[in-house]
Amino acid sequence: MVCFAALPAAAVDEERLSGILERHCVACHGPAVQNADLRLDSLPAQFGGDRRAAEIWQDVLNVVGRGEMPPEGAPPLEAVDLDALLTSVRSLLAEGRVAARTDARPVVVMRRLNRAEYQNTMRDLLGLDIDYVRHLPPDQASRAGFRNNGAALRVSAQHLEHYLRAARDGLRRAIVTGPPPPVHEHTASETVVDKLKNMHWSSRLGRTGTFVARVPEFPDEGEFVIRIRARATMPEGDPYPRMRVVMGYRADTQTPSRTVAEVDVTDTGVQHFEFRGRIEEYPLQSRTQSKYPGLLIWISNFYSDGKAAPAGTRVSANGAGRDHWVWPVDQDFPSIVIEEVSFKAPVFESWPPAHHLSILPCKPGTPSDERDCLKQAARHFMRRAYRRPVGQRDLAPVMSHFDAVRPAVADFAEAAREALAVALVSPSFLYRVESSRQGQRLTDHQIASRLSYFLWSTMPDDRLLRLADRGALGRAAVLRGEVSRMLDSPRSQQFVAQFTDQWLDLQGVHRVAINPNYYPDFDPTLKADMVEETRHFVKAVLRDRLSALNFLKSDFTMLNQRLARHYGVEGPRGGAFKRVELSGSGRVGGLLGHGSVLLSNSTGEDSHPVERGVWVRTALLGDPPPPPPPAVPNLAQGGADSELLPVQEQLEMHRDSPACAHCHKDIDPWGIPLEGFDAVGLRREAVTRRSGNRVETHPVDAKTTLPGGVEVDGINELSAYLATEQRRRFARALVSRMLSYALGRDIQPPDSPAIDEMTGRFERAGYRLSDLCAIIVTSELFRQG
Amino acid sequence: MPFTTQRFQRRAFLRGTGVALALPWLESLAEGRQSPLPRRFCAVYFPYGIVDRQPGTPAAEWNWFPSSPGRNYQFNRSLAPLEALRSDLTVLGGLSHPKGRNMGGHDTADTWLTAAELKEGHLDNTVSVDQLAALHIGEETRYPSLVLSSDGGVGEPTRASTLSFTRTGQPVPADNRPGPVFERLFGLDDRSLEARRVSLDRSRSMLDLVLGHSHSLRSGLANHDKVKLDEYLESVRQIERRVERSRRWLEVPKPSVSASGLRLEADDTTPAELIRTMYDLIYLAFRTDSTRLATYQIGNMNGATSIAGKFPQLLGLSDNMHKLAHDARKGDAGAEPLGRWDTFLTRQFAYFLDRLKNTPEGDGTLLDRTVVLYGSSNSQTHVNLNYPLVLAGGRGLGFGHGRYLRFGDDAPMANLFVTILGSLGLPVEGFADSSGPLEQVLA
Repeated sequence: MVCFAALPAAAVDEERLSGILERHCVACHGPAVQNADLRLDSLPAQFGGDRRAAEIWQDVLNVVGRGEMPPEGAPPLEAVDLDALLTSVRSLLAEGRVAARTDARPVVVMRRLNRAEYQNTMRDLLGLDIDYVRHLPPDQASRAGFRNNGAALRVSAQHLEHYLRAARDGLRRAIVTGPPPPVHEHTASETVVDKLKNMHWSSRLGRTGTFVARVPEFPDEGEFVIRIRARATMPEGDPYPRMRVVMGYRADTQTPSRTVAEVDVTDTGVQHFEFRGRIEEYPLQSRTQSKYPGLLIWISNFYSDGKAAPAGTRVSANGAGRDHWVWPVDQDFPSIVIEEVSFKAPVFESWPPAHHLSILPCKPGTPSDERDCLKQAARHFMRRAYRRPVGQRDLAPVMSHFDAVRPAVADFAEAAREALAVALVSPSFLYRVESSRQGQRLTDHQIASRLSYFLWSTMPDDRLLRLADRGALGRAAVLRGEVSRMLDSPRSQQFVAQFTDQWLDLQGVHRVAINPNYYPDFDPTLKADMVEETRHFVKAVLRDRLSALNFLKSDFTMLNQRLARHYGVEGPRGGAFKRVELSGSGRVGGLLGHGSVLLSNSTGEDSHPVERGVWVRTALLGDPPPPPPPAVPNLAQGGADSELLPVQEQLEMHRDSPACAHCHKDIDPWGIPLEGFDAVGLRREAVTRRSGNRVETHPVDAKTTLPGGVEVDGINELSAYLATEQRRRFARALVSRMLSYALGRDIQPPDSPAIDEMTGRFERAGYRLSDLCAIIVTSELFRQG
Repeated sequence: MPFTTQRFQRRAFLRGTGVALALPWLESLAEGRQSPLPRRFCAVYFPYGIVDRQPGTPAAEWNWFPSSPGRNYQFNRSLAPLEALRSDLTVLGGLSHPKGRNMGGHDTADTWLTAAELKEGHLDNTVSVDQLAALHIGEETRYPSLVLSSDGGVGEPTRASTLSFTRTGQPVPADNRPGPVFERLFGLDDRSLEARRVSLDRSRSMLDLVLGHSHSLRSGLANHDKVKLDEYLESVRQIERRVERSRRWLEVPKPSVSASGLRLEADDTTPAELIRTMYDLIYLAFRTDSTRLATYQIGNMNGATSIAGKFPQLLGLSDNMHKLAHDARKGDAGAEPLGRWDTFLTRQFAYFLDRLKNTPEGDGTLLDRTVVLYGSSNSQTHVNLNYPLVLAGGRGLGFGHGRYLRFGDDAPMANLFVTILGSLGLPVEGFADSSGPLEQVLA
């Protein structure tokens, strides 16, 4: 157990502390009542490595320090008592941290690559962009919502079976055998007219119209290229038409397919487009039985001005042949004219292709050369796969397997595939194995992996591995330089997508179904645009070296034409996301004004101020409220007509109940200022309430008193308050979340001093997000096991 | 007591069908060795539905469903060939998959055994009841399951030419030629055996090497990392056991079954022979305990390309399957051609049940320990409700028979799957959108 004798002189007067708790806290958090499931009279003051007790003391410090406890109406703490309590608890935590350092120091558990990391790593290692994770089960998220947490990531036989198959399958494609395969090419300048008579097949893609190219001959695997020559027709200054290219085939009544690309057509002169991919990633029909043979490329115009596409008119043939359909052409509608479409597959610059040569560069002339050739290839391949130098002990199983397989197969390359597959099911590849001893400095190669999985979600590149070989990653200046280089690389997009989605729970947009009776004009594909807005915003803040306070209050956001139209602001002409200045637009910058946040914390019919409040506290303030206790009635169950009431009155109903009020008085005020936004993230002046056939309208009431007594009205005041009064709290929360993501483990009380220190540096760096990445990377926690 | 009367009778029966069988382990069963008897499941599907006319109208004599529910029901003509087997089967009316009710009229064959929804670009299926069972009882036999269809392969989404889908919803390719099926079950192709031996040896060798290497890693790890590595090692051992099992079966000689009397050359030009031979193969696979699970799709709803579409015409009926089904809803005369086709299919099915029933096993028959589900996912064409279903056999697994049970149109068919899985020794809480077991079919 813990020995306190060795600690610095104890500053804690335990008797006094328990006296204060007894007078002010234990009535609600004691033997009789345990509000928030919390009991303070039996909480050990000397908790040693008891992490749960440490967390509760930390909570006490936070809520009392912020003045949220004791609650309004209860006798307040006198200044001397407040000071004594805060001082004592801080000392307890400090003691606990010292004690915990010996027996409960937070550790990074050996981490399996998660789905995204496995996908990216296999792609970069094999040089082939195919889907390696289609059948891999989803990853478990940690309590804080991160999917790269070593303790939460499990493995099963199902995973292993999948890894084995993916390894063999990937290597079979990456390493080729035999002569170059025949190349199929097909060019079309006119659309095929399908048997569906009432579809508008055309070279002009406006409000209606689809161009179809039918490719009669195509391989089952390999890289394909689709080249399209097309031009736009549109009135000057109008939005660009957006070309969507889809490939698949026609089954009987269904058309299994996958989108190849979506791109703006920006020029009225002919533009050349080129799209590449692996054909085996697309649905391919069975060759023998189809009624509709051939691979189909559908091209359509995805631009919409929100009006419905016109129906075709049936023109009777009056007995002479078949009826046909005609469609009205809207000359002013941004349209695409397809000049020519060509398809070619498989494409390769040389044979064997580059991905083969990068894994298996040598071609043994004699059987005796084969072992040397493979050994050389394996050493290079496994150094990249294991992300560290490999020794004889690593090479031995690969070589043994080669020796076992080689006599049974005709081709050296076939045996090489099988041998290298051993490396791809090894724990040295599937896991990030780090130092065995806590507190010990990581090796340079382990730091290289931490860096690349943090900022790229994939394996280190050659430069990082070379720096590690040279032992250069121990120097903070080198690390800072690498962070800067890595953030400028397009691969940092993977960090932006992974971290942003998990930090802000962006995929929540897909949990909410927007009710079309309330929002008849809402196009559900906007949800993906909303997620992209937030990702692009984070990316811009990171790339342009901006302050993270932009997340709280900003004068710009990132929009494409569709989302700008939805918000009702001037925006770019096309589907690509561009920076849009918001001053004078009626929209508010910062995450609180993002459709993704507003929609995912709505009911699909209306705002959800409680969910929005929970989101603010969790994502921005790093202070997630406790989950609701079981068996609490819903807001809507308050009475027959409660659904028609203004939201503040509804919320007051449950704040009148002591059971609810305890938590909700600290949650709801964070959501109420966002009442000026409906479920799809649009500004509103009035709130419409429905119950059955009855409808009532109330003016928006976004005025509230925040915990601590500050009054705010609406999003502007909330943003301003957060960006000034709460900026430190936000900064600390962001440091803590990003650190958790970077380390792949939960943040625990012993981390507090380090987080405080990093928050201070972050503050002094003007809250620049890119600097925070460097602060984390150069921290002791990041560089130690 | 190797020469029991029972065994003698079995020999006589086998000779009667032209198939000579040597089954050492069945003899050991007869000697009373303590080995639990197998539990089996077989599902047979036909497309487009059946004649379902208003009772009392002239065309109703071709109705597939009996006229009134209960124990004393009367068969109409389409199911009449099952008369002699009525104590071994239950006719089920009213069941359907709730999600199937929202799907295209010809899109539901894929989901007959899965209860999934394939709609508007969402073409991912889920596990079928036989493959779920195979994950458990498939371990007991050389082949986890036997998947057959007239068209073979996997087909296309909503026009699948297989009834079986894996745990991840991937279609399991179906065999459609009796010759290769027989070869796989009972043939002794040395080369392919060797090839498979090599492939399994490779996996085993690879997993051994990985295990060895991982053990050497383990010693350098901290305790919390050892826990993680052990989870990995256990997973590797599990798949190694699976590989090992396949390898072990390679060493066990296949049952010796003579092909004489089987029409292994039957193909899509001889539908009666083809369907009977497929039933023979399922029977033999069960009989030799080569597998305990089988699915057979007699036809799919890919009207344009299914090779089975023409079967009725080859038998002298006026149109292909799809057209018969459409015409069956028209006029008094429309019902008869489909009714005759339905009757033909029922006769083949009765033949299969007879073979199972005439083969003793333990204290009962092969049929008593085999649950057989027969039917379609259309009642009339384009109607994804009131699936025509017959549940036969399995009396030794708890089923009780002799009735026509009529459920409401809102009853989920997956409830039946829950009960079937339970009878196979897999007590599941639910399957897909089930709301509970279907206890009415139990004794």
